[in-house]
Amino acid sequence: MLLQILANALALGAAYALLALGFVLILNATGAVNFAHGDMVMAGGYVAIAMGSVLQLPGALLLPLVVAVMALLGFVFSWFAYFPLKNRPPVSVFISTIALGIIFQNSANAIYGAAPRKGPPLLSEGNFGMGGITIGAQALGIVVVAIVLIVAQHLLLNRSGIGRKLRATAQDREMAEAVGIRVNRMIALTFALGSALAGAAGLMLSNTFFITPTDGTNYVIKAYIAVTIGGWGSLSGAVCGALIIALFEVLFPSLPLLIPPLKIIAPWLFTQTASTILLYVGLLAIMFFRPQGLFGETVQRRV
Amino acid sequence: MNAVVRSVMGWSRSGIRPLFILGIILLALWPTLMTSAYQMRIFTIVGIYALLSLGYQFIFGHAGALSLTQGTFFGVGAYVTGILSVRYGLGGEFTVLLSIALPLALAALIAAPVLRLESHYFALATLGVGQVMLLVAISWQDLTGGANGLSGIPGLTLFGLEFGKGYGIMAVVWVCVAMGAFVSWRITRGLYGAALVISRENRIAALSIGIDTAQLRYAMFLLSAMFAGLAGALYAHTIRVVSPEALEFAIMVACLTITVVGGRTHIAGAILGAILIVNLPEWFRAMEKYYLIAYGIALLAMIVAAPYGLIGLLEQWRAKLLPEKPPAMPPAEPFIFVRAARSAAGPLLEIRDVHKHFGGLKALNGISLTVAPGQIFGLIGPNGSGKTTMLNVITGIYRADSGSVYLDGTDIHNKRSFVIAQSGIARTFQNINLVEEMSVLDNVAVARYGFDNAGLVQTFAAGRIDPAWKRARSNAMYVLEGLGVATVAQSAAGSLAYGLKRKVEIARALALEPRLLLLDEPAAGLNEGEQLDLADRLRAFARGGLAILVIEHNMPFLMPLAERMACLDYGDLIAEGTPAEIRANPLVIEAYLGSPEEKRA
Repeated sequence: MLLQILANALALGAAYALLALGFVLILNATGAVNFAHGDMVMAGGYVAIAMGSVLQLPGALLLPLVVAVMALLGFVFSWFAYFPLKNRPPVSVFISTIALGIIFQNSANAIYGAAPRKGPPLLSEGNFGMGGITIGAQALGIVVVAIVLIVAQHLLLNRSGIGRKLRATAQDREMAEAVGIRVNRMIALTFALGSALAGAAGLMLSNTFFITPTDGTNYVIKAYIAVTIGGWGSLSGAVCGALIIALFEVLFPSLPLLIPPLKIIAPWLFTQTASTILLYVGLLAIMFFRPQGLFGETVQRRV
Repeated sequence: MNAVVRSVMGWSRSGIRPLFILGIILLALWPTLMTSAYQMRIFTIVGIYALLSLGYQFIFGHAGALSLTQGTFFGVGAYVTGILSVRYGLGGEFTVLLSIALPLALAALIAAPVLRLESHYFALATLGVGQVMLLVAISWQDLTGGANGLSGIPGLTLFGLEFGKGYGIMAVVWVCVAMGAFVSWRITRGLYGAALVISRENRIAALSIGIDTAQLRYAMFLLSAMFAGLAGALYAHTIRVVSPEALEFAIMVACLTITVVGGRTHIAGAILGAILIVNLPEWFRAMEKYYLIAYGIALLAMIVAAPYGLIGLLEQWRAKLLPEKPPAMPPAEPFIFVRAARSAAGPLLEIRDVHKHFGGLKALNGISLTVAPGQIFGLIGPNGSGKTTMLNVITGIYRADSGSVYLDGTDIHNKRSFVIAQSGIARTFQNINLVEEMSVLDNVAVARYGFDNAGLVQTFAAGRIDPAWKRARSNAMYVLEGLGVATVAQSAAGSLAYGLKRKVEIARALALEPRLLLLDEPAAGLNEGEQLDLADRLRAFARGGLAILVIEHNMPFLMPLAERMACLDYGDLIAEGTPAEIRANPLVIEAYLGSPEEKRA
């Protein structure tokens, strides 16, 4: 039982990690919050559904296509949401991404309606039996795909020339510009990368949890929380934060299954609602007591 | 009598006020042309959103914090009214008050952990609170009716009078808008309003002149919650049902869009924005589901093209097409801005064994110094030696890892930045921190915030002109004259040359009536004549009892000015003494020029 729950938590955490990674990449490159990041997940889900219904292919084969479409969308996104505002305070970008999120949401709503839709599974809907426990093929698939993508992202950023330029841009834009890096191109590329990761997460989440046009808000909050827990701006922290959230979300409501007396003591506590509320309260507590995140070191802004 | 008429005439003609007056007349005439109950209802909802946005302007516009919880306060207000009137049959005199009180309490509760956070965290935290409230509304079915909500909310009754459908509720809503507009105007003007501007535009500068920026934000947040609660109550009475929709993010988005489109600090902007955004779906009814996309496009277009909204745009055009004569300069009102230390004996500033490190970098390594009342103390050292860090530790922007700082015998170490400023330490900044769009005069006048008891209530209660602001500007004029920069009083601070900006910062610091003045490279950007002039003026202030700590690289300026000097190098105090001793000190020479061996190599 516990292993199955952990496997589900790991799958959810892997999807959240993709989402949080993209969020941090954009955050580091631009210094601004991409509020539409959750809507990119939602868009990825719908792109997968649209392509799946036309091509009749499993998600694993659709994935490269979805990633490509979402990367393109990320490019276009940056032209509207970021570049016109790049010399303004970050809060302007925050608002412009809210605006684009609204456009995404309502476009999805106009095309697909508000009813939940189910995305294509990565391979099949079946289960694997391993040593007495059954693990969903989808859950396993998500973990594998996420690991592949995270490793690819890591290699791209740390082992390639373009990755070095991307990191330089994120670290100090003016300095990067001074040494001849095409900073704007790098930022657009970061948006493409972030959007692609979000799209991949969307493809996978839309099968397990279905997708509706308004799901984006929920997902961006998850990314936000993961980044807050992991330390603002830290890539590895974001992945850890995503896993922690997913573990909590999956484990907490199923505690009574593992420890039956809990069902009698406090049945109201172990609901989805209560666990979401607890997650937010925990988030507030972290922001209050450790604004640098659970793992980070205190950073002081220079005056 | 004639004078009153003339002043009213003058007021009505200045700025874009003729347009406002025309707008108000049109707005008042509009309802008389309405033929259907539906039109009246739309107009009522416009008023409700205008009220919501007026409230949102406090936190988003005036405090400059992106709150995403205004829609939640609105929904909570609506639910309070819905629950109390449907389940308990309470009248409007209770439901409306409680609809204001509960969001207020909620705001007070969440503000404590959230308000001191950076803007992105603030937005996230407020968003999280909204999601929690939505979940509570959906799952607490016994109270809220769950996903279906509560229907059958009666019309608004106040003390037995009924304000039902049509003109009744419309009148109540628009009276509330008028009152809200009045409150907003009264609170955000004058000295308090100027304090809001500097807190929003340059928090560090605001703290340095003793303004408790967190408290201002807190007040603005509470006000925004109260307005939203009232709007929510009126909404419940207007549409007669309350459901989780009232708590959904869509309301927040509409409110944000209205405020950005209309103008984030203009009262007229809230009303204009509400008219446009509420009617948008009506005007684009043919587009059905797509009109919400138009919201997004409108929001995006405005944030890119006109960040201060339509009203801000109008004002910009007016300023370009019909430039106005700047208002007459206020007469200078003398006051004693150089205060003598309380106790003549003992040092005014005493720093004892202060350590400060950033990660592995030791910025200050056990520094001890004293500055006597009336003394001019020079602090030198190569770039990165810790001078500015020292200033930031004294003024409480950084907290020292260990050690203590005494001002006139009181330990100020660990006190908050604005408290330290209030206790008599004023400063200037190496990279100038003025509000660029504000006039020089106003930049200095706002430093009088702590002296005239300028609070929210006082500003609200003052008459048409805030007397505290008038006094502050007159005092500021006096300080500007004292530094010889009164001629630029009306220029925007951003338009000044570098050296002048430095002098304006010194003027602002002096307006705080400090006992200790900390200057970070005051001579940078001044020519030789101006440097001599500044040195003369500083000497005169010091003779009046003001202690001055000067960080400077410019030795020809500093050496004749300072009575004592100290030199920092890599966080260590390597020398202290008279200027002559410092000049001759081999350690100082080595710190500046490198060791002889290095030079030979």
